[in-house]
Amino acid sequence: MKTADAWRLSAITYSEMAFKSILQNSSNMWWGSFGRGSSEAPGHEDLVKRALRIARFDKFIITAFVIVAAGAPFLPQALGASYGISASVTLSLAVSFALVVLYGVQTLSSFVTSGPSPVLSTLPLMRKDVSLVNLFSFVRTGDYLVVGSVACQVFFVLLVTGSALSGLFMLLAGAMNSVMGVGVALWLSSVFYRSILGSKQGKLGGVMRLALLLAWGVVVLGIGVLFAAAGYLIPLVQSVLASPNTLTGSILSLVYPFSLGISVGSVAHGVALSLVEGVALGATVGYLLVAVAVSRWSMISVSSFPEGSSISTGGGRVHDTSVSLHGPVAAYSLKDLRAASANLPSAFLFTLPAFETLVILLIRAFLPTLGASTILVAMTLGGIVSLILPLVLVSSEGGGFDFAKTLPLRMRTIVFSKALMTTVVFLPAAAVVYGESLLKPLTSPSSILIPLASILAVAAASLLEVRLFLGFAPRGRVTFALQEFARMAAGAGAVLLPAAIYVAVYVLTFNHALAAGVMVVASSAEVLATTEFVRQS
Amino acid sequence: MADALIEAHGLTKTYGSFRALKGLDLRVMPSEIYGLLGPNGAGKTTTLRITAGLIEPTAGSVVVSGFDATKDPLHAKARIGYVAEIPILYESLTPRELLDFECSVRALATEPVNRKAHQLAEAFEVTSAFDTPIATLSMGTKQKIAIIAALIHQPPVLLLDEPLNSLDARSSRILKELLSLHVQRGGAVLFSTHVMEIAQRLCSRIGIIFDGRIVAEGDLNQLRARAGAKDATLEEVFMKLTNEASEVENTMRMLRESFFVDEDR
Repeated sequence: MKTADAWRLSAITYSEMAFKSILQNSSNMWWGSFGRGSSEAPGHEDLVKRALRIARFDKFIITAFVIVAAGAPFLPQALGASYGISASVTLSLAVSFALVVLYGVQTLSSFVTSGPSPVLSTLPLMRKDVSLVNLFSFVRTGDYLVVGSVACQVFFVLLVTGSALSGLFMLLAGAMNSVMGVGVALWLSSVFYRSILGSKQGKLGGVMRLALLLAWGVVVLGIGVLFAAAGYLIPLVQSVLASPNTLTGSILSLVYPFSLGISVGSVAHGVALSLVEGVALGATVGYLLVAVAVSRWSMISVSSFPEGSSISTGGGRVHDTSVSLHGPVAAYSLKDLRAASANLPSAFLFTLPAFETLVILLIRAFLPTLGASTILVAMTLGGIVSLILPLVLVSSEGGGFDFAKTLPLRMRTIVFSKALMTTVVFLPAAAVVYGESLLKPLTSPSSILIPLASILAVAAASLLEVRLFLGFAPRGRVTFALQEFARMAAGAGAVLLPAAIYVAVYVLTFNHALAAGVMVVASSAEVLATTEFVRQS
Repeated sequence: MADALIEAHGLTKTYGSFRALKGLDLRVMPSEIYGLLGPNGAGKTTTLRITAGLIEPTAGSVVVSGFDATKDPLHAKARIGYVAEIPILYESLTPRELLDFECSVRALATEPVNRKAHQLAEAFEVTSAFDTPIATLSMGTKQKIAIIAALIHQPPVLLLDEPLNSLDARSSRILKELLSLHVQRGGAVLFSTHVMEIAQRLCSRIGIIFDGRIVAEGDLNQLRARAGAKDATLEEVFMKLTNEASEVENTMRMLRESFFVDEDR
């Protein structure tokens, strides 16, 4: 087979792979629910249409985001900031690396479970041709992302430094970074889907799932923190890197991707190398060798997929077939938890409200006391973030929802179970605040009631949101997006209303205790009202 | 005469401009295996999905064990075990987790459930897959899990859509024996297939569904009489009643000319 033919054929197998990955991880489709064809929980046909739509547009959206993220750290210099570019290059590489990993894990899931196209193996093609098509499919996974982010980085380096050599170094650093990112994504996908989904579910599987979940969380939060703190981080890191021959600088120059950032920066100023820069250049050569090894491993791994499914279902006889029974709401919640946690991205969402609350508290860590406003903001933002979960839980039903439909289940059981799960997931956010209150004095003791009110508000909001998502028939294509925004807005409104009442009462009376009391009453009323709304449906 | 366990009246289902069912009527009595026999797209699966409560009819009604499947779906579904043509299961769960979920929702008692789960898992040889995610199982094993999920609560009504498709010989035999025991206890089975031999051997009554309607029903002798074809096989009766015999002949003539002519001549 000619290389050009293999490249052309890989477009089809890549599309199929991306489509299957989206379909496999149906909880990733929550954002794709915009414009879906039914207000009932999605059926299989609807899921397929949504998966196709998301597979087509996902890559373009992510590429645009990656380009913006890769370019943003250079804006201070592009707007005239006087400090060097090492820290900006480092931040840009770190963010684009993390985004390539996140996107790669999502897209490569079907690649590692069944190969890009099992159909190819049934056609009269040589094994090496199938391997070549697989390899090209793999390359297509990150082509726009990699080309877009690296081009953006090279453009900004050229713009800021005016040095062609720096641009060339940036090109090399960007390429190495992308190779490493795709390699890590492939490894993570292999570990997650082979070792966890493909084998018996035991303690080891649980530990692996937790470890990957935390790793995933660190990557996602890392991106958020890098962006949130970029304004402080870039000048701070740049000042450390600009001081020649410091111990901290020398240590950083060994760490990826600081080595690459310092190397690009050192080429830009074109004077004699400092100790830090020399160490960074040496480390960069080392990372180049690592990148070559990673690319070789990735190519060998990908080429071996024509041998068939890389998942081993294991053998061993199971003697115990006993089941554990619960009440219907608890059983449905447990099912949701099990189904959603089998997928890395959606599993992480279970920890997001607590992380979000923690980040808000950390941002205000410098304050000596824990104020009512800090608690109110942290809990409200955590509550709004937690409202992603009902959508994920509805979407992660996937084709299996037809199984649930054959059971004697009331709609309200499903709604209560998903709201219960969302509320339980929000509880650690309150625990974070209560934990913080043990470490710091409260400016107002009554503000300890705010997390309780927020929990009630989240319960009410999730009841409302799930009920609206499962309940109403759409009225034509144009109104889909509006309807779904309205549903989410209704949920967000239910979280915001008690907080707004707190603020209003406090502004009128300057009494925290009264404001907190009224907030608890308001959120309790919301729970009663939404429960009644769901019960009557 | 006992009440029917499944009774459909004027069942109509339209998908956009396509009418999948056009006023279908059928009754399945206790102790009866009713075979729904028809070509692809005739309306078999739609009939079963409406009866199982998965979709609502555009018009007409289905009553299961005395409960309207649309108006009183909870009571109807409590009395149904359904196996889809392509197993519909939560694929990220393991079979054990799926049965945890199903039996909890059905509010079954733990001890009998555990006993039945163990016996069915042993019978269909799926114990080794009990803790493996369903997504990674073979189609045949998924089908067995779907069958276990349909049987575990011992419902009076079984709705089986091409249940033998992916099963090995041993499991097919066990399922057929289980269906015999089920109807001996007064249960009913509505069974869809397009395999004539299975319908002929397994079903006490057969309904031939064509273009969204039951065009004939009865046991084999009644169908032969209806077709005016004494001693004919079920396949011949089916072809005659659905007017497909001449179409098949025309198609085969075309295929013979295209595929089996010596191109060197």
